[in-house]
Amino acid sequence: MRASILKLGNVLIASVQGSMSDADLAQMRDELVLDVRRYRATGVIVDVTLLDVMDSFAARTLRGIAQMIKLLGATAVIVGIQPEVAFSMVQLGLTLEGINTALDLEEGLALLKVPGIGAHER
Amino acid sequence: MVQHDNAVERNDGENFQEHNEISEQELAHRKQFLELGDEDIARLSGINDLARRYAADVIDDFYRHLMSFEDTRSFFSDPQVLQRVKNMQKEYFLRLTEGNYDLGYVQDRLRIGAIHERIRLPIKSYLGMYNFYLRAVATRLSEAFHAKPAEAWSSFLSLLKLTFLDMGLAIETYIASSERTIRAQQEAIQELPTPVLPFREGLLIVPIIGIIDSQRARQLTEQLLNSIRGNRAKMVVIDITGVQSVDSRVANHIVQTVEAARLMGARVIIAGISPEVAQTMVTLGIDLGRIMTVGDLQSGIERAEQLLGYVVTRSRSTELAAG
Repeated sequence: MRASILKLGNVLIASVQGSMSDADLAQMRDELVLDVRRYRATGVIVDVTLLDVMDSFAARTLRGIAQMIKLLGATAVIVGIQPEVAFSMVQLGLTLEGINTALDLEEGLALLKVPGIGAHER
Repeated sequence: MVQHDNAVERNDGENFQEHNEISEQELAHRKQFLELGDEDIARLSGINDLARRYAADVIDDFYRHLMSFEDTRSFFSDPQVLQRVKNMQKEYFLRLTEGNYDLGYVQDRLRIGAIHERIRLPIKSYLGMYNFYLRAVATRLSEAFHAKPAEAWSSFLSLLKLTFLDMGLAIETYIASSERTIRAQQEAIQELPTPVLPFREGLLIVPIIGIIDSQRARQLTEQLLNSIRGNRAKMVVIDITGVQSVDSRVANHIVQTVEAARLMGARVIIAGISPEVAQTMVTLGIDLGRIMTVGDLQSGIERAEQLLGYVVTRSRSTELAAG
């Protein structure tokens, strides 16, 4: 299943589906990188709320996405990691060090300071 | 980064139960180690008649001795109790030379040890009793066997072996009991709940008290992660003022909790690391470098509020007095 990538102002929102294969994830990465350049996006949110298992490939891909996006001058935020997923990730040592994370899409948008959106705007 | 050393964790839970159970094999092993053999058993049975003759005297002497010391006298202030204990002692004493040192004997000895432990007779007094008996019997043996000193001597040595078997059992009853107490206390500490307290919008406080083991750490992390989702928390202050000791395993748990929280978009501040814990952590080479740490809970809350953009001001300074 392919990921859907939505554009909201300067922000791209990619939703990872529950049943994505490694190839789907890699394809999402490639599309996101191209879209950041194409839409001159300043922020990217990858929403993994529906992901109930995070294996090392997925974690590595997410890390890769964040690093590539940073190189392109934009900011990436991973949102929606569920408690069980977070717990098993740290057990496996997949800690996504140095990468922005937020509770959900709303918080992610707030973190990217998208005006008019976000629970705790500052 | 702290290494994952979960693999070396021991399961302490089951080791202390049924400590007093001694198998046939274990008993045989103990006897072997003490070189307590059939010859000894024969010799001991041989002095049973003699023991019967002097048992009452030895016991009387023994209690006279006990009563002459303040700390042991207090255990036998009731004359009825004293009489009952004396009778038990006599049985115990005679049992030493009855020649049947099987598992039943062991159970009997363990039971008597447990009784003394329950009345909190100090172990030094308990061992003193063996000392008294051995000396009393030695004197009586040398009198009875004055023509055959070699026989007196070998009988005494046999008794010595058996007595040491008994002493081993008695000491184990005492140790098993204190281990049970320690175990119960540890469980009580581990069962202390760790509340996750919403402090302000977006800020949770987690005070940890007592011992952190893997199970508790897991429970704590799960609870915290669910609370982060439930309260939409962005900051968490974990206060470990009440944690007395930290080893690499505990530090690893703390690091994992912090990282898991971060994956959910919440930053964690660790507050209240005591000087001792700080020393241990540095000595063990535990790196909390990427984790925010502050001295106490107050600083933790202040720092969290600052990061969340809260500004706390005092509107009136004398409101308390009015109330």
